[in-house]
Amino acid sequence: MGPSSSSADLSAEMEVDAFRRLFPLQFYERHLLESIRPDGRTHQQARDTTLALGAVASADGSALAKIGCTTMLAAIKMEVMTPTTDLPDEGNLTIEFHMPPICSPIVRPGKPADIAAVISKELSDTILSSGMINLKELSLVSGKTAWMAYLDIYCLDADGALFDAALLSAVAAFSHLQIPVVSVNDEGKVFIVSEEDKAGKPGNEPVNIDKRKLVLSNIPYSLTCLLHKNYILADPTAEEESIMETSLTVVLNSSRQLVSLYKPGGPVLAYTSALQDCVAMTMQRVKELQKILNEAISDMEVV
Amino acid sequence: MEIDRTDGRTANQLRPLACSRNVLYRAHGSASWSQGDTKVLAAVYGPKAGTKKNENPEKASIEVIWKPKTGQIGKVEKEYEMLLRRTLQSICVLTINPNTTTSVIVQVVNDDGALLPCAINAACAALVDAGIPLKNLAVAICCCVAESGYVILDPTKHEEEKMKAFVHLVFPNSVKAVLPEESLCVNSEPWEHGILTSVTRGVMSVDDYLYCLERGRAAAAKLSDFLRRSLLSELLSDSTKAA
Amino acid sequence: MATKASASPSTYSPSTRRRKQERPNIKDPDWVRSDGRGFHQCRPAFLRTGAVNAAAGSAYAEFGNTKVIVSVFGPRESKKAMMYSDIGRLNCNISYTTFATSIRGQGSDHKEYSSMLHKALEGAIILESFPKTTVDVFALVLESGGSDLPVVISCASLALADAGIMMYDLVAAVSVSCLGTNLIIDPVLEEESYQDGSLMITFMPSRNEVTQMTITGEWSTQKIHEAMELCLDACSKLRTIMSSCLKEAAFASNE
Repeated sequence: MGPSSSSADLSAEMEVDAFRRLFPLQFYERHLLESIRPDGRTHQQARDTTLALGAVASADGSALAKIGCTTMLAAIKMEVMTPTTDLPDEGNLTIEFHMPPICSPIVRPGKPADIAAVISKELSDTILSSGMINLKELSLVSGKTAWMAYLDIYCLDADGALFDAALLSAVAAFSHLQIPVVSVNDEGKVFIVSEEDKAGKPGNEPVNIDKRKLVLSNIPYSLTCLLHKNYILADPTAEEESIMETSLTVVLNSSRQLVSLYKPGGPVLAYTSALQDCVAMTMQRVKELQKILNEAISDMEVV
Repeated sequence: MEIDRTDGRTANQLRPLACSRNVLYRAHGSASWSQGDTKVLAAVYGPKAGTKKNENPEKASIEVIWKPKTGQIGKVEKEYEMLLRRTLQSICVLTINPNTTTSVIVQVVNDDGALLPCAINAACAALVDAGIPLKNLAVAICCCVAESGYVILDPTKHEEEKMKAFVHLVFPNSVKAVLPEESLCVNSEPWEHGILTSVTRGVMSVDDYLYCLERGRAAAAKLSDFLRRSLLSELLSDSTKAA
Repeated sequence: MATKASASPSTYSPSTRRRKQERPNIKDPDWVRSDGRGFHQCRPAFLRTGAVNAAAGSAYAEFGNTKVIVSVFGPRESKKAMMYSDIGRLNCNISYTTFATSIRGQGSDHKEYSSMLHKALEGAIILESFPKTTVDVFALVLESGGSDLPVVISCASLALADAGIMMYDLVAAVSVSCLGTNLIIDPVLEEESYQDGSLMITFMPSRNEVTQMTITGEWSTQKIHEAMELCLDACSKLRTIMSSCLKEAAFASNE
């Protein structure tokens, strides 16, 4: 990369798009000086966020989350398992994050992206350690049968802040989750009770008629920020992430407790003041996301 | 409120540290690092020609391969690899050897808590041993938060399981320079207080985290003294051998 | 269900108590399709281009419960191992989500469909227009509701057009199932499961050329003719929907 003085000279006579491609860092820094980003946002502003619940008909719970162009589709399928002997009253949760080749030019078929495994691990750690879901609620018959919830999150369009969008879609899918009504037969096998069965035969009373929704407490919400020099940029796009490498993700739950503070290396060091700024920005973002989630849920109930 | 630690340590006390360099014959650089019963062996090969696809050919790239004690690598190891790679990349001077790859292989010898910090310390010592140009060293520390908000440092595996949350922190080493101290300050904080890497698990309050940070920084200063001493002493013995 | 990590227990998805659905008596003159369509009536199609921002071109298609996304990348550098080639290469891949079917799947690649997609599109693309490089066409089936492959093919040709890849024409694909004496067009999953035979045609209507035709099962010559007529007719209709979708997108971007 050329020294900044030469790029400054060039900028006068070069087209904007060409300058953006050739000197991406200088291009961004010129914007940041003016307290604006190339997409018109301020430093602390997140992109437009939308949520749609129930996007997948074949799943028990699903949600589509969009933050800017980043799109995540999460779906939950409930299956039955035998609980382990040391935790007989608990069900379980398996969280998988997928990056299919459609989502980004860097993913090729047959070669799963390393970042997908990392985000997958981060998501399941965050969701399980946040205590959002009480695994005891997933129990059907103590020691005999329990639910295993498979949560699969697909990235449909990758444009930065993947973890934030994935977590939002996961949380929304859980709030949309409707556990099927089931009965257990003598051999311990579980059957779905359909509408007409309920009225008719005795002998297969549903075991979980009052446990169709999970109680979600302490829902986690996250915000990823980029650190660059003294700037803090909230909710980065893929382009911003590729130019400025230091990211910091803060996850807070609805009672303002810290669930995760994740900074994987990067050339910029995070000092206490920057940390506190990021936490404050996340607090703000939690309020926004709570509102978006509640609106999505009430929209669903009206329909 | 105090917590009794099974090994009789105080909350701030680290386990006995040991570091030896140049333990492998074929590697370009190697080091073993142990904190109590946690022991990690790191080997460095390179810089070798060429970078991977999608990497910047104008910079050197670092590749980390994590070898668990037993079994195959899964998601946990993949995450460790990514954390190590990004942490090491931020302490190396990447512009000196552009379009090269340096491989760091991390072999877990024994895991008794604070595995990732131990691996980062080992990898850092191995990079020094291989003579890879570094901006500074990195020192890593694990803090655990108990239910009562009490913080202990450098936990064993048993302690890790009992705690409600833990924080892995990586800091740059403390600087010994002739420059006046203020010139090394960033926003009125000492330069070495900046966080290179932070990974947390479990729910805690923000204040808990800040408290961990404070304790971690103090421990990191001690660790970086130890690292400096052990690297220096071996450098001196190397030079006497050469003479 | 294949077991996942060694620690996780084996699981199954609970079924209803009712016995397996029996094949309906299709000879019964009163038999109607489960969604109430006529035998020669296609499902309503929803198509949209520009679904994935990160791709050079993309399209989303929804035919009843079948929902797919196709992204096109390139023309871009071919794999290093590839030999020099005067004409461009086409690389296709179709995968399913784990929740695409009613039983949770593995979300793996579908090799057979991938190669059929390649065959169906290859003849429509002007490969001479991008020598030495590769165009990647990747599809993800979000939900499988029957006639997956024809939907993917139509959607893929729309995504190629969105990416500005030169083609002779759009490729429209439709399949027909044979159930006893009846021919039903655009079958849903349930109908596909008890079909006697199936026929799929991928067609470029404005050139009146077929790029691919597959027949499985038992067919009489006369039935094949009848089914082909049905398919070709439906393809032409689908083609008009596809081109109007492209026109709308172009119109919107000009505004």
